[in-house]
Amino acid sequence: MTYRSFLIYEFLVLWRRKQDVFNALLFFIIVVILFPLGVSAEPAFLAQAASGIIWCGVVLSILISIDHMFKEDYQDGSLEQWIVSGLSLPLLMLLKVMANWVVIILPLLIMMPLLSEMLFMPNTSFWALVLTLLVGTPGLFLIGVMGAALTVSVRQGTMLVMLLILPLYLPVLIFATSAVQAAQSGLPYSGFLAMLLALSLMSLVVSPFMTAMAIKASVSG
Amino acid sequence: MSWLWFHKLGSPKWFFFWSKSWALPVFCIGCFGLVVGLVWGLAFAPEDYQQGNSFRIIYIHVPVAMLAQSCYLAMGVAGLIFLVWQMKIAPMFIKAIAPIGAVMALMAMVSGAIWGKPTWGTWWVWDARLTSVLVLFLLFMGVIALQNALEDITLANKAAAIMSVVGLINLPIIKYSVVLWNTLHQGPTFTITKKPEMPAEMWLPLLIAVVGLYCLVAGLLLWRIQSEIILREHRSNWVKQEVMGNGL
Repeated sequence: MTYRSFLIYEFLVLWRRKQDVFNALLFFIIVVILFPLGVSAEPAFLAQAASGIIWCGVVLSILISIDHMFKEDYQDGSLEQWIVSGLSLPLLMLLKVMANWVVIILPLLIMMPLLSEMLFMPNTSFWALVLTLLVGTPGLFLIGVMGAALTVSVRQGTMLVMLLILPLYLPVLIFATSAVQAAQSGLPYSGFLAMLLALSLMSLVVSPFMTAMAIKASVSG
Repeated sequence: MSWLWFHKLGSPKWFFFWSKSWALPVFCIGCFGLVVGLVWGLAFAPEDYQQGNSFRIIYIHVPVAMLAQSCYLAMGVAGLIFLVWQMKIAPMFIKAIAPIGAVMALMAMVSGAIWGKPTWGTWWVWDARLTSVLVLFLLFMGVIALQNALEDITLANKAAAIMSVVGLINLPIIKYSVVLWNTLHQGPTFTITKKPEMPAEMWLPLLIAVVGLYCLVAGLLLWRIQSEIILREHRSNWVKQEVMGNGL
């Protein structure tokens, strides 16, 4: 096993289990639909709330998809293979997160123009939204993967992952929606983007090691 | 400086007998301090010129809020100690302190809400401090839930330690982000660098109540750790002798 073969394997697995990715995306769309139907379909309200709705949907669908990121690998023994492969486990975790991020976030970004139109989002803030998604979601994945690794041996771990990880998502959510709202009212938002980038970079420093530690503990246990 | 005391903490047996003699005195001092602070604060301290009598909830609110934060800090440090030095006491400490911290956070929110109703006119506002205490509560609950969900004890130890360290890293960020987001709460009552802005007869009982609650929680914590030690080490000989000799 090399890093390259690992990455290719990850993409292949994700490709062959397309339904999981589709589920996450469909879940995202459903969450976004709930708000206009449940709260108000007024264009004025939706334009205000669009960034928050989309970000909440993104957070939830990432959590849904991240929850079973390690489940299969845990059951079929891949985790042991990674540990004994002699490759650096934190780096492998990083590659896995990368593969998942690409597979989930790219389709999401492609859907974004459509959804922002449905939510009457002004054009001025659309690119801010795309930028916050690009800069902020790596952090979400990196934080979430720690929760997934910690709960890999729990049979019904979805709720637990939510409980563990959602509080840690709050800063990302706050900075992202602040950025979009700043853009909406014509203010500069590069500061918020910088904060998002800082959060993502910081989780890049902490998360792979913590994830690797959790994986090792789960396997030996 | 000798590091012997630190390494001794790694031994459950040593910790058990050490804490056995400390738990009760510390707890009693804590109870005494808390009662003195509360009675003094609630009955004898002067009224606030703006808030009237409703300010008196500070004597409950500030101690529990400080404890909630301190508990998380201590839990995170214990997690770090476990990850670095593999000390056996650390996960027991985490297990013992998490519910206490959760209760403290909850009490801080409840007492704050009771104070907020007459003062701000609402039970809850989406304010920085309130939100961060709520998040603190959720983080405590997360650690408790994680420990309960994992059946394997070594895994549960490690997972709780990782989670509390991650939470500790994140807590300042969460705090900063919600402060930036929205704040209405007044500034801190005690800071290390500045003299309190209240008169002494108002802050002195508060200080006594805070110190008292710290001691009380420390006593409770020692007891909880002791029972955790007995539970986890029940196979070892010294526990058998202890239980046979002195009872539970």
